[in-house]
Amino acid sequence: MSAADIELREVRKSYYKDRLEIPVLQGLDLEIEAGEYVALMGPSGSGKSTLLHLLAGLDRPDGGSVRVGEAHLESMSERERTRWRSRHIGFVFQMYYLVPVLTAQQNVELPLLLFRMSSAERRERVGTALDVVGLTDRADHRPNQLSGGEEQRVAIARAIVTDPDVILADEPTGDLDAKTSSEILDLLQLLNSEFGKTIVIVTHDQRAADRARRLLHLDKGVFERDEARQASSAS
Amino acid sequence: MTLGYILMQNLRRNPSRTALTVVAFALPMAIFVAAISCVVALKEIGESNAKQLRLAVHDKTTLTNGLPERKRREIEALDPDRKRLRAVCGMRWFGGRVPDEQNTLTSLAADVDTFPVVYSDAGMTETDVEAWERERRACVVGRAIAEQYEWSVGDRVELHSTVPPYLALEFRVVKIMTNPSVANYFFFRRGYLEESLKEAGSENPICNVFWVKCHSVEDLRWLQVEIDRLFAGTSEATKTEDESVFKSRFTQAMGDLPGLMEAMAVVVVVIIALVAGNTMMMSFRERTRELAVFKAIGFASGRIFAIVLGESVLLSLMGALIGIVPTAAILLVFPVRRLNYGPISSLEVSSDAIIASFAIALTVGLVSGLWPAIQSLRLQTTDALRRVA
Repeated sequence: MSAADIELREVRKSYYKDRLEIPVLQGLDLEIEAGEYVALMGPSGSGKSTLLHLLAGLDRPDGGSVRVGEAHLESMSERERTRWRSRHIGFVFQMYYLVPVLTAQQNVELPLLLFRMSSAERRERVGTALDVVGLTDRADHRPNQLSGGEEQRVAIARAIVTDPDVILADEPTGDLDAKTSSEILDLLQLLNSEFGKTIVIVTHDQRAADRARRLLHLDKGVFERDEARQASSAS
Repeated sequence: MTLGYILMQNLRRNPSRTALTVVAFALPMAIFVAAISCVVALKEIGESNAKQLRLAVHDKTTLTNGLPERKRREIEALDPDRKRLRAVCGMRWFGGRVPDEQNTLTSLAADVDTFPVVYSDAGMTETDVEAWERERRACVVGRAIAEQYEWSVGDRVELHSTVPPYLALEFRVVKIMTNPSVANYFFFRRGYLEESLKEAGSENPICNVFWVKCHSVEDLRWLQVEIDRLFAGTSEATKTEDESVFKSRFTQAMGDLPGLMEAMAVVVVVIIALVAGNTMMMSFRERTRELAVFKAIGFASGRIFAIVLGESVLLSLMGALIGIVPTAAILLVFPVRRLNYGPISSLEVSSDAIIASFAIALTVGLVSGLWPAIQSLRLQTTDALRRVA
């Protein structure tokens, strides 16, 4: 069980379209404690996903610093960030992005291919992750044999199988109905409360945001509000 | 689970497309192997012919114009001591068919005394020669023909000529020739043919070709010039060619067959490269986001490069395997010599063709997968993920 704190200082990021600079993040400062559950909200284009990508080391800031645990991401090469990400970050996507030709078990096993470990240990880890998300009985099913909620649970199992410090979720309930969304949010809450994972979730869904203990409103590349709150309980 | 397993599973992603791509690979590869095997066979026959040190002397204008049989003595007189010339054998086209069959066999009437010397590649033993000289109706038959009609030594066989006066002659097989260079030939005694023609009221002892066996390449070159010089300016002017040039007339009647086949092989390779390249690009574009997710999970660019390239190579090699193995099997079970196509009487799948095919498949796989693989290296994970977000 591990978690990491996060610190952003004066983070700036712009994109260019037809040589035109489009500023996305404009000098963001942020501190997230290890084991915190944070929701990021804001209108489309406010910089939520960009921030998430910076936290994951998928991108580098144009200026400022991004520290996750001991890692100073702004000064690391792409190769170093990739290696670091495989060990410290679990990523959950809106559309799950499971490999359609692999079973649930094999999808969960994917990140472990980057680790040197025996097949027995690998099986054990995959089994544990599937157990946590409650899909042990669906291990041999392919994505097209699973419901949307089950697919997202497999994606969460894939994100936690390496025991990462931080779980980043980009609209994890965006493609799910209310009941299934609630189940996925329960699961994320469990990972935070029981396993102590630092969780940062990007969402447009107020019910998803209500599960977090801290809510950040991002607009036009700056934080508008930073609310500490009592997380609503799991259903 | 390994990366290799993932590669194999990826091919199942779109089974119809994988199957069609593999077939699109397999068929040209099959054609390639067959074409290159033909080229190799033709070249081997050409080389084998060149070793026989034989000259073909025929009418300068056309092969169908026969030359009088006395020309043999005139040619022999060029080298009375036989220092350059070993023997001269006159041959006349018979063009026989087995009754009720469509194929015309390369059947030729040859001078009885010199045939075993001039056609030493017939491999006749003393016993064979004795039988050949003793029996008026003796014939020596190439292995391909013997296998096709299930003839063996001692069998009585009948051929019907396809040229006037359409004689039907009976023969007795005294020898089966196993050498590939004569596997599609049927030789019998010219005396027997001339006598039969006389009986049919069509006496006209001529030869379409005089084969001149030489001692050396230098002798062959000398005789080639001297024979044509001897008959130049007469109404029976000759054209003298070495055997490989003479026989290439028949293959080149359909154009430059080896050249054509080599060109075909090149076209085939280009086609499969385009097919494979197109498939790999489509596959890559469809999976851009998935590959971005692989990167997000922590897969290094090099691994993703290997996955994309490996898939292309795997697809190519599968196609090559599926194309080559049945072709080899078919050629083993159904030898092309049974098609009775003279020049390629001994076509077998060339090991060179198989090695070349796999090398080409590997190259095409690498080349066609290279561009998508490079694209995967350039893939901006955040852009690819944002396209859906």
